[in-house]
Amino acid sequence: MSDTHASDTQWPRYMVLHQEREDKPHQHAGTVHASDAEMALLNARDVFVRRPDCVSLWVVRADLIFARTQEELALNPDWLDNIQATSDRTEAYYVFAKLTQKAQFSHIGEVEAENPPHALKMALQKYPKTQGLVWWVFPVKVVLKSTPDDIAAMFSPAATKDFRDQANFHALSVLRKLMRDQKQEAE
Amino acid sequence: MNAELKQALIDYLLAMADDELILGHRNSEWCGHAPILEEDIAFANIALDEIGHAIVWYELAADLSREERDIFANRMVYFRGAPDYRNTQMVELPKGDWAFTMLRQYLFDQFEMVRLEKLAQSSYAPLAEAAAKIRTEEIYHLRHTQAWVRRLGLGTDESHRRMQTALNELMRYYEQLFSPSLADTLLFQANMVPFQTELMVHTLELIVPFLVEANLIPPRGSNFVGPNDVIYRHEHTEHLNDLLSNLQQVARLDPMAKW
Amino acid sequence: MYGATVEPIEDIRTDEEKLAEFEGRIARGEKIEPGDWMPDEYRRQLIRMISQHAHSEVVGMLPEGAFITRAPNLRRKLILIAKVQDEAGHGQYLYHAAETLGATREEMLDALLSGKAKYSSIFNYPTLSWADMGAIGWLVDGAAILNQTMLAKCSYGPYARAMVRICAEENFHRRQGQDIVITLALGTPEQKAMMQDSINRWWWPTLMMFGPHDTDSPNSAVLIRWGIKTKTNDELRQTFVDQTAPELMALGLTIPDPDLYYDETNGHWHFGEINWDEFWNVVKGNGPCNAERMAARRQAHEDGLWVREAMVAYAEKHQS
Repeated sequence: MSDTHASDTQWPRYMVLHQEREDKPHQHAGTVHASDAEMALLNARDVFVRRPDCVSLWVVRADLIFARTQEELALNPDWLDNIQATSDRTEAYYVFAKLTQKAQFSHIGEVEAENPPHALKMALQKYPKTQGLVWWVFPVKVVLKSTPDDIAAMFSPAATKDFRDQANFHALSVLRKLMRDQKQEAE
Repeated sequence: MNAELKQALIDYLLAMADDELILGHRNSEWCGHAPILEEDIAFANIALDEIGHAIVWYELAADLSREERDIFANRMVYFRGAPDYRNTQMVELPKGDWAFTMLRQYLFDQFEMVRLEKLAQSSYAPLAEAAAKIRTEEIYHLRHTQAWVRRLGLGTDESHRRMQTALNELMRYYEQLFSPSLADTLLFQANMVPFQTELMVHTLELIVPFLVEANLIPPRGSNFVGPNDVIYRHEHTEHLNDLLSNLQQVARLDPMAKW
Repeated sequence: MYGATVEPIEDIRTDEEKLAEFEGRIARGEKIEPGDWMPDEYRRQLIRMISQHAHSEVVGMLPEGAFITRAPNLRRKLILIAKVQDEAGHGQYLYHAAETLGATREEMLDALLSGKAKYSSIFNYPTLSWADMGAIGWLVDGAAILNQTMLAKCSYGPYARAMVRICAEENFHRRQGQDIVITLALGTPEQKAMMQDSINRWWWPTLMMFGPHDTDSPNSAVLIRWGIKTKTNDELRQTFVDQTAPELMALGLTIPDPDLYYDETNGHWHFGEINWDEFWNVVKGNGPCNAERMAARRQAHEDGLWVREAMVAYAEKHQS
């Protein structure tokens, strides 16, 4: 199978951002491969909402995310200084950051900016107390989001699939009892 | 509820259950063979939902028959032969290619949505409640299959060709979903289920424009000819025999055994 | 790795400095994350391990998938579909972890389908009876859990996190396997015989899952130094036998190993020697189902080509 079609791809990657509860920020859950945003959102629901709680799902094509690490910024401080606004034509950008080694990227807020580097600069200014190990910025308009109406149809059903519930496997208590009985007999 | 009405309702529920079970079974055949990994996951969800819905309907029928739910449902699935199954022929057909599977799924999902919306108004409360709940899962199914049908219809020449071929084949079977049975009339009069013709009109109103927008043309003159051409739900293709002999193979090794 | 960047920023440290810092982080138990500097060999080993793991999950759907249609009651049917679906999901998370290291799914799939990449040999054995669903859940997934629990401490963040997520789901898989085994072992004589036959066929291949003896395992040293592996093959294998043998025997099932006995002196179950000829033969591609598994995956991939292309064509025509 080494002569694959040049046009045969596994489709672009979309980052999946998942919000467990309304009072928690969206967090990076993983990625899905999809041919467009709508398919990405639908697949994200199937891949990431089979068990956990979810009130909102966002998908954004991976190549539209502008990323910088704290390390990269520190190594080249001039880079940020050289970014200037040139016009009033701004749009809204989401800001996500990875706060600790272990944590996932988490939604910090929004800024208005002309372009991705400008958005990062604005984010660092707007959220000076946030110690991001890595920062992501991407335009709000390229994100496809689930709606509140989707909660009932897309997310709630996962909770009713209780056949995965380990408590339903009664045979195990039979085994434990058997082993206890056998042990007692041996003594 | 008098005995005749009760039996009619049991038969209606079994027909719905059988449709879901057989379709879910066919869908589960794709596990491990879907065009991309994300679809293995997504389509398995649809199969799980359908079998789950089948169980809901079998259980309502069990309650009416005053039988234990689990025993009844499993007996229906594993120990009836093809002539006793009440699913439509459309769902027992082999899964075909991805175009066939997606289109069949869409046609069934849209019909089901229309029916569930009406069933949610049933005068038989357990049926109304179950229909309302299942309907919320169906919203997602329909969104998923609509997305696929549209994209494959409009995608490439090849995907379009496969979809049109699938549509030509499936429309021959589609009308059976709308064929009323004698029992339906009784149930309709008792306000328990919708009138089949109403379902047909409403479903066609939704699917035809959608298909046309996806550049798929329902074949002319093939469908919905009239009550003389009704295919009854106990009439099956040979595919159901093959399906059941596989489905029931292990269970039938010993009807008394617990698995 | 993370997408749209404007221009690369120069990192002026030397390779030696970077390596020292890298190894220091590992020694301190810190995770290495995507975007961090790492030695090429570390990256290479991880891509190999992670993609192999992903391929195993995907190929692993096939032996069990064969029995979904024949599951003997509705609950078992739902549970088995859910299990196979989980395996696809695991494959998906793992491919993602490998992608964070710079591998692409196209490359990884190509490696699998062309036979260049490996996947766990256990899936080259056939499923012949319903009882095999029990054996796979209890034995195979049980072995996988031991391996994955160890890997959850792996130094590479995305892989460690994927392992934690996967382990949680894998416990459900083992539970359902145990449930089937117990039900059959305590069922009719025919069911018990079916289960015994299944254990007889799956026991040794499961022990082989832990890999060669430590002394024959060339990659182990560097994997341990770089925190990719924290326990040896033989250690894990022993733990598995200690956990599983007594439970199976309590059910009245026998283990197909005449050399198996409980050693009072060290509290472990002593077991016989693995048939290493069979092990290497299957690893090389001559197992009972190697050809069948690959054929099925290639078929699915080829059959899916027009679908993937059609979806891309639609997306290109309808870009907003």
